[in-house]
Amino acid sequence: MSNQKKRNFQIEAFKHRVVVDPKYADKTWQILERAIHQIYNQDASGLSFEELYRNAYNMVLHKFGEKLYTGFIVTMTAHLKEKSKLIEAAQGGSFLEELNKKWNEHNKALEMIRDILMYMDRTYIESTKKTHVHPMGFSLWRDNVVHFTKIHTRLLNTLLDLVQKERTGEVIDRGLMRSVIKMFMDLGESVYQEDFEKPFLDASSEFYKVESQEFIESCDCGDYLKKAEKRLTEEIDRVAHYLDPKSEEKITSVVEKEMIANHMQRLVHMENSGLVYMLLHDKYEDLGRMYNLFRRVTNGLLTVRDVMTSHLREMGKQLVTDPEKSKDPVEFVQRLLDERDKYDKVISTAFGNDKTFQNALNSSFEHFINLNARSPEFISLFVDDKLRKGLKGFVDVDVEVILDKVMMLFRYLQEKDVFEKYYKQHLAKRLLSGKTVSDDAERSLIVKLKTECGYQFTSKLEGMFTDMKTSEDTMRGFYGSHPELSEGPTLIVQVLTTGSWPTQPAVPCNLPAEVSVLCEKFRSYYLGTHTGRRLTWQTNMGTADIKALFGKGQKHELNVSTFQMCVLMLFNNADRLSYKEIEQATEIPASDLKRCLQSLACVKGKNVIKKEPMSKDIGEEDSFYVNEKFTSKFYKVKIGTVVAQKETEPEKQETRQRVEEDRKPQIEAAIVRIMKSRKILDHNNIIAEVTKQLQPRFLANPTEIKKRIESLIERDFLERDSTDRKLYRYLA
Amino acid sequence: MDRIDQLFNQYANRSSNLIDPEGIEKLCSNLDVSHTDIRILMLAWKMKAEKQGYFTNEEWRRGLKALRADTLNKLKKALPELEKEVRRPTNFADFYAYAFNYCLTEEKQKSIDIETICQLLEIVMGSTFRAQVDYFVEYLKIQNDYKVINMDQWMGLYRFCNEISFPDMGNYNPELAWPLILDNFVEWIAEKQA
Repeated sequence: MSNQKKRNFQIEAFKHRVVVDPKYADKTWQILERAIHQIYNQDASGLSFEELYRNAYNMVLHKFGEKLYTGFIVTMTAHLKEKSKLIEAAQGGSFLEELNKKWNEHNKALEMIRDILMYMDRTYIESTKKTHVHPMGFSLWRDNVVHFTKIHTRLLNTLLDLVQKERTGEVIDRGLMRSVIKMFMDLGESVYQEDFEKPFLDASSEFYKVESQEFIESCDCGDYLKKAEKRLTEEIDRVAHYLDPKSEEKITSVVEKEMIANHMQRLVHMENSGLVYMLLHDKYEDLGRMYNLFRRVTNGLLTVRDVMTSHLREMGKQLVTDPEKSKDPVEFVQRLLDERDKYDKVISTAFGNDKTFQNALNSSFEHFINLNARSPEFISLFVDDKLRKGLKGFVDVDVEVILDKVMMLFRYLQEKDVFEKYYKQHLAKRLLSGKTVSDDAERSLIVKLKTECGYQFTSKLEGMFTDMKTSEDTMRGFYGSHPELSEGPTLIVQVLTTGSWPTQPAVPCNLPAEVSVLCEKFRSYYLGTHTGRRLTWQTNMGTADIKALFGKGQKHELNVSTFQMCVLMLFNNADRLSYKEIEQATEIPASDLKRCLQSLACVKGKNVIKKEPMSKDIGEEDSFYVNEKFTSKFYKVKIGTVVAQKETEPEKQETRQRVEEDRKPQIEAAIVRIMKSRKILDHNNIIAEVTKQLQPRFLANPTEIKKRIESLIERDFLERDSTDRKLYRYLA
Repeated sequence: MDRIDQLFNQYANRSSNLIDPEGIEKLCSNLDVSHTDIRILMLAWKMKAEKQGYFTNEEWRRGLKALRADTLNKLKKALPELEKEVRRPTNFADFYAYAFNYCLTEEKQKSIDIETICQLLEIVMGSTFRAQVDYFVEYLKIQNDYKVINMDQWMGLYRFCNEISFPDMGNYNPELAWPLILDNFVEWIAEKQA
């Protein structure tokens, strides 16, 4: 008893074989076959799922899986063949409906059958690697119905017909379409693509090819684009409603190709309605549409951009080279700003602020602004006008906006050093005549220029402001230490540091006694506190306010230039003076004197002096006397001309020459800098590097660079290499 | 006092102890050579003479010793050899540069006026580059950009004659580092030929 082995409790399979009646399999199959028939005949309500499942299970269990599988296939096939005939017999519109109906029925049946045969699916089919029931049901449908020759083509054509109808505006049964097309999708991606999608795309391509041709012959650009957009939207809508989402990209490609890509050039260049027309007339909506459509195709935006660029360049070129438009510099610049604003708005409203378009705009402006060599001068004159009076009443923010716009134009200039020269001249005039609207605005612009161009650009300009400020302090000190001078004429001196201000030669001029006494007192005061300096009176830059009493008792305060003051004061001691007498007394050079007399005697409304003879020009034999009958409705009369103006031809030449002279040392400095660091460099590279270094200021001329190199060679800064003539060496 | 010195004294100025322009003229006529002949210049080169128109005793000795001549006759006979020697490419460039420096008469002078350059060109290059010299001299007289020529331009011209095919100038490239005056010269010729 104690040695009893412990035995595990085992369950053992039947040791004897279960003998199955061979007829058992047939009987079982017949039950199932009948069930399948009933299912297909919509007569399944009486069936017991449990019973059928068990039957199928038993067959598989007793190794009759193959019989079951084969039977299933044969039975289903027979049914499907029958169904095909029925579908094929359907007429007209009901064809599709029949197909759809039968498909739905088949699906339902298939599911039921699959459920019944699930054990076979999981065991026999798994182990034999045969096709599972559900996929097999689909394949059988595909082979026996869809690919049935009498159905295949008819089905496709029916579907395509319906699409065509819908495209021409008819309403179709979208639900039916969706159902049938989903059938394709369910049958497999390759079935969908081969049997439906590909033919669909081909047919669509044909359709749009024809339609686009019709449209392009009959519509203008704006309308065409509207139609194209509409078609595109429709197709996307179509996909959403009854096609495979994967088809969206393919069908939109077709539309894009046929409607847009194939007609791109023609659309953009269309007379009186294409891109240029739209740009000129601010057609933001059309432009936006064009942008959105064209960006879908290769090189679409490139095409638009190119046409826009050449239009801009052409328009810009005409603008800047038209002599009419160059008459008024302020107008000229305003036009440029307006055009830029316009295209900026187009790009931000219609082109989604696309950076490549911004760049095209900038490069176009840069190109044509520099076609007119006077652009730098004109921009400075524009700024002068604004800082002088144009900004009066503007709020700070608005001032900044205008200055920023000016800076934008400034950036386009290739010859920034020319701008600097003019800006300095104009600034000097503004400061000296006290004609700045806003000191803050002046300073703000200088800061912007400094940020853009660096410290050197603006250091002299800032020096000018400092001089003005220092002069104020000096004047206070002067009158402070000479209280006795507070009676008598008031002298205001601006002491300008040479080098910061535009150079002017000092012009001789005899000041009236009262004035020159004051000037001398100032000179000694100033030199007393600043030994070692030299003061030179710039009589051609000053102004004077004189109180005048005329013949009939009219009192006026005249604002005149220094020269004019000298002339007028002479008439305190003489009623009548000849030209020669005036010339002798004042010692003002002839050309300046003539201009001065002209502005005093020949300008209507300002002729405080009368001239005999009454000709327009000043002759050396003329004589002058006070115009006792002078009237003006203003008490203060301005006669002096110190306003900045567009230069005359000779003046312009002179300025240009000075600019060229100034460039020489800059080029040399650049060459020396480069050679100092590189030690040895070949000719082409020097030219390239120098040009690059100087580019923020001006465009250097290769011939000029060569000249400077030779000059440096002569002065032993550089030498040519003895063996390779293309090389230069730096001589320490 | 040896024969070289004796020969020197025949031409030298008593008070300055230099052979001056007058002396050189006399020497030239004795040698049967024009004083603008290139061979006199070559002689000066051989002597490494510093001042144009003058030979010092030292320079004289240097030159004649190198030529192994201590009589007028030997000197005369040595001239063809001297010319051959100078015309050797390695020496000619040096001689060419020497010729320029020889004409710098003022202290700190670095350039030579157009007139003198034309004469110098004629002497130094007239026999070898006839056409180029003729054209260049004509151009120099017409142009206004330069009133004097410096060493760099002078040497540039030498390279030009040696490297650029004339008168087609097909291998001239103005974008290289040729002196600007030559760029202008080439352009001028092209216009003339058109």
